[in-house]
Amino acid sequence: MNTITTTEALAAPAAATAAAAPRGAPAWRAPLVVLVLGAAACALAPDQLGLMTRIFITALLVLSLDLVVGVAGLATLGHAALFGVGAYAAGIFALQVHPDPLIGLAVGIAAGAGLALLSGAFLLRYHGFTFLMLTVAVSQILLSLAQRARGWTGGDDGLSGFVMVPLLGRFEFDLEGRVAACYALAVLVVLFYVARRLVGSPFGLAVRGIHENPVRMAALGTPVFRRLWVLYTVAGAIAGAAGALSAQTNAVVGLDSLSFALSAELLVMLILGGAGRLTGAIVGATVFTLLHHTAASINPYHWLFVVGTLLMLVVVVSPAKVWAWVRRRAGGVR
Amino acid sequence: MKLRRRAIACALFASAGLSLAASQAMAQAVKVGIIGPFSGPFAHYGALFKASAEAYVGSQGGKLAGHDIEFIYRDTGGPNPGLAKTLAQELIVKDKVDYLGGFVFTPNAMAVAPLIQQSQTPTLIFNAGTSSITEKSEYFVRTSYTLWQVTVPMAQWAAKQNMKRVVTAVTDYGPGIDAETAFKTEFGKQGGTVVESIRMPIGTTDFGPFVQRIKASGAQAVFTFLPGGPPNLGFVKAYNENGLAKAGVQFLGTTETDEFDLQKFGDSALGLTTALHYSGAHESPANKKFVDALKKRDSAAVANYASVGAWDGMYVIHKMIEATGGKRDGAKALAAARGLKWESPRGPVSIDPKTRHITQNVYLRKVERVGDLLVNKELQSFGPQTDYGLDK
Amino acid sequence: MNTFLNIMIDGLAYSMVLFVISVGLSVTLGLMRFVNLSHGAFAMVGGYCAALLTREAQWSFWLAVPAAVAATAVLGAALEMLVLRHLYRRKELDQVLFTIGLSFVLIAATNAAVGPQVQLIPLPSLLAGSVDLGFRTLPTQRLLVIAAGCTVAALAAWAVTRTRFGIWLRATVDHSGTASTLGIPIRTVQCASFAAGAALAGLGGILGAELMPLEPYYALKYLMLVLVVVAVGGMGSIAGTLVAAILLGLIETASKYLASEWGSLFFFVAMAVLLAWRPNGLLKR
Repeated sequence: MNTITTTEALAAPAAATAAAAPRGAPAWRAPLVVLVLGAAACALAPDQLGLMTRIFITALLVLSLDLVVGVAGLATLGHAALFGVGAYAAGIFALQVHPDPLIGLAVGIAAGAGLALLSGAFLLRYHGFTFLMLTVAVSQILLSLAQRARGWTGGDDGLSGFVMVPLLGRFEFDLEGRVAACYALAVLVVLFYVARRLVGSPFGLAVRGIHENPVRMAALGTPVFRRLWVLYTVAGAIAGAAGALSAQTNAVVGLDSLSFALSAELLVMLILGGAGRLTGAIVGATVFTLLHHTAASINPYHWLFVVGTLLMLVVVVSPAKVWAWVRRRAGGVR
Repeated sequence: MKLRRRAIACALFASAGLSLAASQAMAQAVKVGIIGPFSGPFAHYGALFKASAEAYVGSQGGKLAGHDIEFIYRDTGGPNPGLAKTLAQELIVKDKVDYLGGFVFTPNAMAVAPLIQQSQTPTLIFNAGTSSITEKSEYFVRTSYTLWQVTVPMAQWAAKQNMKRVVTAVTDYGPGIDAETAFKTEFGKQGGTVVESIRMPIGTTDFGPFVQRIKASGAQAVFTFLPGGPPNLGFVKAYNENGLAKAGVQFLGTTETDEFDLQKFGDSALGLTTALHYSGAHESPANKKFVDALKKRDSAAVANYASVGAWDGMYVIHKMIEATGGKRDGAKALAAARGLKWESPRGPVSIDPKTRHITQNVYLRKVERVGDLLVNKELQSFGPQTDYGLDK
Repeated sequence: MNTFLNIMIDGLAYSMVLFVISVGLSVTLGLMRFVNLSHGAFAMVGGYCAALLTREAQWSFWLAVPAAVAATAVLGAALEMLVLRHLYRRKELDQVLFTIGLSFVLIAATNAAVGPQVQLIPLPSLLAGSVDLGFRTLPTQRLLVIAAGCTVAALAAWAVTRTRFGIWLRATVDHSGTASTLGIPIRTVQCASFAAGAALAGLGGILGAELMPLEPYYALKYLMLVLVVVAVGGMGSIAGTLVAAILLGLIETASKYLASEWGSLFFFVAMAVLLAWRPNGLLKR
């Protein structure tokens, strides 16, 4: 119960891809594919850029969750806290100090990293179910504090009233959301690259090792706690970036960005796409968000049926096995 | 891995294409986007908006000012400003709606303010009650109510009943705090004192402790505001079960005796006093027409403040369509909406030209049994009230 | 003094509801190491059955409640035998995903079948009134809740320590491999405990219907509270769950009386402190 293994054992056909092995595809390949696909999607659906932006931000957030859950093996249900704190920090900064997007992004990253640093110092001393519930406690405590501090956060009414100045001084955030979508996509691609490099580095290897067998890693001389702490902080920074993006592109931050429901949804998206390979995070986020959007606009009452059934199906009929079967049929055993 | 990515990309494009295709359906109709909760614990608001809006169009013969109306409904689930903004953006940019309506929660309305201002889309607020919303954009028109609007006459009435000590118990969020401030200010002006101001967290389901605090405060009455739906039910039940009425603490409420849940209280609700702008039992030909049309459209729908908000919202949209000839012209539509006067199911109303908020009668009501059903019987009218929250 | 007594009584009622719902999950988690996030759905199903039986089918409250509890037990047993036990060997994340999906489906089914409104359980006249305790009036239903909770705790303690099934249960929780070699029918123990847990959750849903209103999202809304109680009390420990439920219930009620503007802050701070102090559960070392 206390150790959680990666999904790599199930992902046999995917073993040839980069992220699973230390040597493999260069780190820039997957981000480049995301860039191309993202740009193409935006070009093909120019009147749904709001949805695209939402997908990019969610993908970034689930990516940061994958670092914690998939790579380091720490199942958390409090990841929304890192997102929310980045969002509120960027929002409050834009409202009180200066509404520049890039500086706000830096503020969000700092806030996310800061919270991860502080809470990680306490949380990472625990494991398994205890760690999971403590992450819930931390994020709920933050939610209560945000609700109480109405003067700063707007409480249940949300933080609003800030208008972002043009990005880089030239690109104004337009109604159709073109600038917002490009901005979000760019940040996603850059941070995805950073994450890939991190996971492929010796540091990343050490963390993977800790995931698989912390005792042995400690015996090898790895400072386990410190490695996990650094990773958690980096994941917090990326989640904070996603929060800042959300605050800036929506021009409003609500308490729902700190909620338990969001944390649970993120975990579901990650497991759906496959944890541990970073690309799975992006796939899971995209599929879930699109599904929610389409199902909800067809029939808001019953979309839960669709999602619930899909989730159960995905567990019972593992996608990795399905792809393996498809590949075998498509030609050649791998 | 590449295979999966390709497949996902195809799925992405396919779904985008599907949604693009669906919107080409009706060409010349006037499009109205309704944003509200259609799932989750507040889903009844969405159902009521839908029934009411469609009932209005039906009552006008299926067309408004000679134009077909196409409704597009989008679900926010609950207070979710990011999602509300995405949905509004999609409605404005992709579906090219001419009007927006709905909005139950304040943060959702706040989130769309910059969008509607930039795109000049007239937006009707069917329910949200925080005064400051209409200040965020010139294109908001409110046909619901605000807390200041219904609380000030209530405080004046309480003072006239020689009440000197009242305790306020509100839900700890924007409209609740508006209600508390409004009551404190007005009651204080009339010479009374608010002995304690209790704020209840928004997720509260067990109101027992709060009701005990109310009892312990030694007040003659409790003034309350709750968001509508399960919390209202819980609070009124706690008020009854803990014997507050017997202990001499009078109930001064607003939306707690919502027709939607009213029958569930049974006899324990008899005698509860509230002040609000609409009662399903209001006796007027306009109200009868509304109730009949609503029942015909959806027999499960009730006539309450949410459905009448949607009905009157559609009336304003009707007038705006008339004024613009069915074309998209935000400025002209708003000009037509300002200063509109008409007889609504709730009584005589008008849209204030400066604040774009609805000026309406507020009534004092008591719950009584008429035949088999419990109704909010209007005892007296306080006359037309404006949004006092904006007069400061 | 008044406030103190109020906190004790209201807090105890709330604690008992939490205990009755959580004890099943604690046993299941401790016994089968199966992360069942659809536990909240059992509480919801029990409550809904009772509400529908008393309101629509006009059954007497005293008949409907045991029937609803039994129905939930049957649902739990059926789910366990047909579906869930195939997941015991899967990874925790898979179990989480599946049971969340199951909860979604149950929520949507409830919404489709009965609608999104809050379901009230009409109480018989014996329970519908209030009891005057001198310093305050207490709804009679709360007394029933406290009594039922104490009974469940006592029964559970008796069943676990004095009956053969209890011995089997404890052995299987401690080490199922050895237990099975000793001839203990593991599958029966697992299925029966799961069904009992589901039944208790259903009972908790019925008892708590006044405090935690029954609506379709119930299954996920209160899941977090239940997980908190189980975590603090320790998986597999019935006594631990009781102590945790009482402690946390009292703290939550006290904060409603004394510091309601802070919401549930103190509840979660208490939870974090307790969990940090005793990571494996209050009564375990």
